[in-house]
Amino acid sequence: MQNQSNVPVIVVENVKKQFGDYLANNDISLKVNSGTIFGLLGPNGAGKTTLIRMINNIYIPDGGTITIFGKPVSDDTQNQVAYLPEERGLYKKQKVLDQLIYFAQLKGVEKSVAKKRAEQWLIRFDAASWAGKKIQDLSKGMAQKVQFISTLLHDPKLLILDEPFSGFDPINAELLKEVILELKSQGKTIILSTHVMHQVEQMCDDMCLINKGKAILQGNVREIKKSFGRNTILLEFEGDASFIVDNQQFKIVNQTAHRLELKIIDSNFDSKLFLNELNQKLTVFKFELVEPSFHEIFIQSVKGNEVEVG
Amino acid sequence: MGKYNKINTIISHEYISKVKTKGFLIGTVLGPLGLVALLGIIVYISMSFGETSKKLAVVDNEGSIYTQLIKKDSTLYYKSEKSVDALKKELQEEKIDGYVIIPEDILDKGKASVFTGGGGGLGLISSLEDNLTSIVRVKRLERIGTDSSVIDLIRQQVTIETNKITETGETEKDDTKAMAYLGYGLGFAMYFLVFIYGSFVSRGVIEEKSNRIIEVLASSAKPFEIMMGKVIGIGLVGLTQIIFWLLLGFALLTLLGPLIFGNPESIKTMTEMAEAQGGGMASQSQGLSIPGVDLTLILGFLFYFILGYFTYATFFAGVGAAVDNEQDAAQLQLPITLPIILAIMITPQIMNNPDSTLAIVMSIIPLTSPLIMIVRIAATNVPIIEIVASIVALVGFFFFAVWVSAKIYRIGILMTGKKPKFSDLLKWIKSA
Repeated sequence: MQNQSNVPVIVVENVKKQFGDYLANNDISLKVNSGTIFGLLGPNGAGKTTLIRMINNIYIPDGGTITIFGKPVSDDTQNQVAYLPEERGLYKKQKVLDQLIYFAQLKGVEKSVAKKRAEQWLIRFDAASWAGKKIQDLSKGMAQKVQFISTLLHDPKLLILDEPFSGFDPINAELLKEVILELKSQGKTIILSTHVMHQVEQMCDDMCLINKGKAILQGNVREIKKSFGRNTILLEFEGDASFIVDNQQFKIVNQTAHRLELKIIDSNFDSKLFLNELNQKLTVFKFELVEPSFHEIFIQSVKGNEVEVG
Repeated sequence: MGKYNKINTIISHEYISKVKTKGFLIGTVLGPLGLVALLGIIVYISMSFGETSKKLAVVDNEGSIYTQLIKKDSTLYYKSEKSVDALKKELQEEKIDGYVIIPEDILDKGKASVFTGGGGGLGLISSLEDNLTSIVRVKRLERIGTDSSVIDLIRQQVTIETNKITETGETEKDDTKAMAYLGYGLGFAMYFLVFIYGSFVSRGVIEEKSNRIIEVLASSAKPFEIMMGKVIGIGLVGLTQIIFWLLLGFALLTLLGPLIFGNPESIKTMTEMAEAQGGGMASQSQGLSIPGVDLTLILGFLFYFILGYFTYATFFAGVGAAVDNEQDAAQLQLPITLPIILAIMITPQIMNNPDSTLAIVMSIIPLTSPLIMIVRIAATNVPIIEIVASIVALVGFFFFAVWVSAKIYRIGILMTGKKPKFSDLLKWIKSA
């Protein structure tokens, strides 16, 4: 997976989009590497949907360029991209299988191929028995599954998923996550737009945070976390901890009888090795690597940006 | 994979998903029945316009007139035994509509009086006059001992056979009356079909917009393809229905011809004519007999339906894209729906006078022309130049509709929230 990462699937360069007086995207540049999951984050109204629509050739940028697999966005690139919009939409009075086939055909898939793939995916999502049902007879969660399946049938190399987990119960959310990771392992590139920060931490390789039409923070998810410099270990234990002293890897920032707080200085610090050592000498109740959560990073960045702009 | 394929996919999806519905089946079967029923009502109303719903009491001092009068129209006249004073009182109290006094010497003087609460309409007076005149005429002849065969001769009415001279100089039977009614029927059918199928388009566009399906569609095809695919697909559904009706009509006409059309009188007439001419489909101007429906009329209808539908449906698609619900759509559609509503309203006048300036102008102006021209083609011999002018204007207007609607559609389809005003639409049209 990592060895593919240097090949950009999407290159957005200095893109601008304006609606009347409203500047939805202002000079955005970003790169999405092949075979990665890319988190597209930002508060409501930041311009994420506008950017996604431009990647999908629904909107045409007023300035700048967007290329997909090295080609400028066009009718032809549309067939390689899958799009799951945040606001889901299916024909209420049409049957599940018919709709799936139609959406696949619109992406250039032969009807018979579309039918076969749709049936396979319905089985994978434990939904084969709905094929002949109308959308209006399905629950919201069921319809969400159908919508997700509809994005997969043209075997896209790039998937843009806007809040894919909304409307799913935990079991189905887990199934969906599994499928997304499976797609990634097949070498597909996935853009995940979400407000759920722990999903970003769990799933994304890279990310871009957009605020007020501008990219204010982007890069590798791990590195971004580290760059916030709050890598800290919280430790609670029973036993003699006098062997733990300041060294090149960490510093003790707080110490009580059964509690220690360590700040990691060395970026190559191996927390697993350290925990093994602790386990041999102490009874460890709690060992927690406290990085700034993405929730915090999101809030700090957006607020900081607001101060800068304001 | 090309563009051509995508619009084809959209067309066939629109077509198949519409044709598969129960609504289509029901509409196809019940449509003609509904139209026939509606036309029946209209014809009935227009024919019974001269008649009155009033009833007149007959005081017959002569003694032999009232039986004849009641025989002529038992819904209008009834015999009264009451005195004139009693009738006068009842009239004042509005218990009766009026009364007729037939004097003893009506055969000599030829005068009678009618009393009503005022008005009663010209129709009432003229039918009373006609009825009494013919009764008195026969009575007078009987009084001087005229032979009954002579009286029968006098009683016979004259029927007018209308003829037209064709361009090649031949004389043909002119089915003016029947053709005018047929034109009216076709005009009505045109009105309903254009409206029904046009509103299918705007409803479909609104559904895709309000259910957010459009976002998925727009990520797969061009807005123009999505819009025109829908317009064409639904148009083909309409054509399927019309062609089915034509075939059905043709089959019925061939098999059951005389039995379905018109009243017993025309059947009798036709049977007589058929006998006289040694069989074959005869058409005659008396009553509503079967007119010789020619191919020009059928082709004209199909042609004007296609052009009319496409123009209206394209506008409807554009307007549908601008709004979030059908109520708002109806409002914005008003400027384009008014002309065709106006057209259907003045169709009776066009039918009566298909060569008037009004008729000619309205059959050339786009938006009214599909309806008015088909009425005229049925009712009269429309000069080729007028047909050409109307087609050129309509085709030109259709392209204008596509141009305008494509612009509104492209922007409107992804706009949600506040309802756009006309000024907004104009802005969208002007934007590149």
